[in-house]
Amino acid sequence: MTGADIIAAAKYLAAGLCMGLGAIGPAIGEGMAASHALDGMARQPEMEASLLRTMIIGQAITESTGIYSLVVAIILIFVA
Amino acid sequence: MSGELGKKLILHLKVGGMDIAFDLVVMAVAVGVTLLLVLLSWWLRRGLPQDPEAPPTRRAALLAAAMELAETQLLGGYPKRLARDLLPLITTIFLYVLFCNWVSILPIPYIASPTQDINVTFGLALMVYTMVHVYGARERGLKRHLKSYLEPYPFLLPMNLIGDFGRTLSHAFRLFGNILGGAILTTIVLELAGKAMRFPMLAPVAFLGGVSLGTLLNAWFGLFVGAIQALVFALLASAYIHIAVE
Repeated sequence: MTGADIIAAAKYLAAGLCMGLGAIGPAIGEGMAASHALDGMARQPEMEASLLRTMIIGQAITESTGIYSLVVAIILIFVA
Repeated sequence: MSGELGKKLILHLKVGGMDIAFDLVVMAVAVGVTLLLVLLSWWLRRGLPQDPEAPPTRRAALLAAAMELAETQLLGGYPKRLARDLLPLITTIFLYVLFCNWVSILPIPYIASPTQDINVTFGLALMVYTMVHVYGARERGLKRHLKSYLEPYPFLLPMNLIGDFGRTLSHAFRLFGNILGGAILTTIVLELAGKAMRFPMLAPVAFLGGVSLGTLLNAWFGLFVGAIQALVFALLASAYIHIAVE
C-alpha cells in the first residue's frame, strides 16, 4: 500500500465514521420530539395541526447537526 | 452513475485574474423554474375577473384559498398589516424552493435540483438575511434594530453576531444537505442494483429491487422531503423576519 492508498482509505473511513456518529444525536432528538408531539396530540386532538407544524420545524432545526456531518462527509469524499 | 454527481457542464470565465465558474445546468434549471412560476402566476392572474364585484371564477377561488392557507400557515404570528406585506415574498420563496426540489423527480439525465447546489441555497439564505435587516430597520427604526445586537448585555455582541452568521449558514446548509443527501442515496441504490445485475443469479431480484426501491426513494426524497424542506425553509424565513420586527 502506498501513501495515496492509505489517504484514500482514511478518507472513506473518516466519512463513514462522521456520518454514522453524526446521525446518532439528531435521530434521538427527533424521536423525542415526535414522541412528545404524539403525547400532546393524544391529550389534545384539537391541537393536532399546530403541533404537527411546530414539530416539523423543531425536527428540521434539530436535524442541522446531522446535516453538518453529512456536509463534512461529502467534503471528505468528493472534495478533499 | 455516481460519476454523474461530479460531472458537470461548467462555463469558466476569467474576470480580472479571478476564475469564475458557472454551472450551466443549475442555472438553466433555476431560470426554468422561475419561468414556470411566472407562467403560473400569469395564468392565474388572467383568470381573475376585471370587475371586483363579479362572482369569483374558479381560478380566483383557488387563488384566494391558496393565499388564505399561506397566510395562516406561513405567517401565523404576524399582525395583519405585516402579514399582507410579507405574503408575496414568503410564498414566492416557498413555491420556488418547492418546484426546485420537485425537479429532481423528472427522469431526464443531467437534470438535478438546483437546490442541491450550495450556491443556490446560499443565495436564497442571503436574500432572507438581507430581508431580515431591511424589515428590522423599517419596523423598529435603524437605531433600535442595531441596538438589539447589544441585548441583553453589551458584552454579548460577538455571540449575537456569531449567532446571526450561524443561523444563515445553517439555513442554507439544511436545504442543501437534505436535497443532496437524498439525491446521493437514490443514486447509490440505483448504482448498486446496476452492479448486482451483472450476476445472472441476482439479476431478477436486483432489477425488481432496484426499480421498486429507486421509485420509492425518488418519491420519498423528491416529493415528500422536498415539500417538507420547502415548508421548513419558508417557515424559518418567516420566523427570522418575525424575530427582527418584534
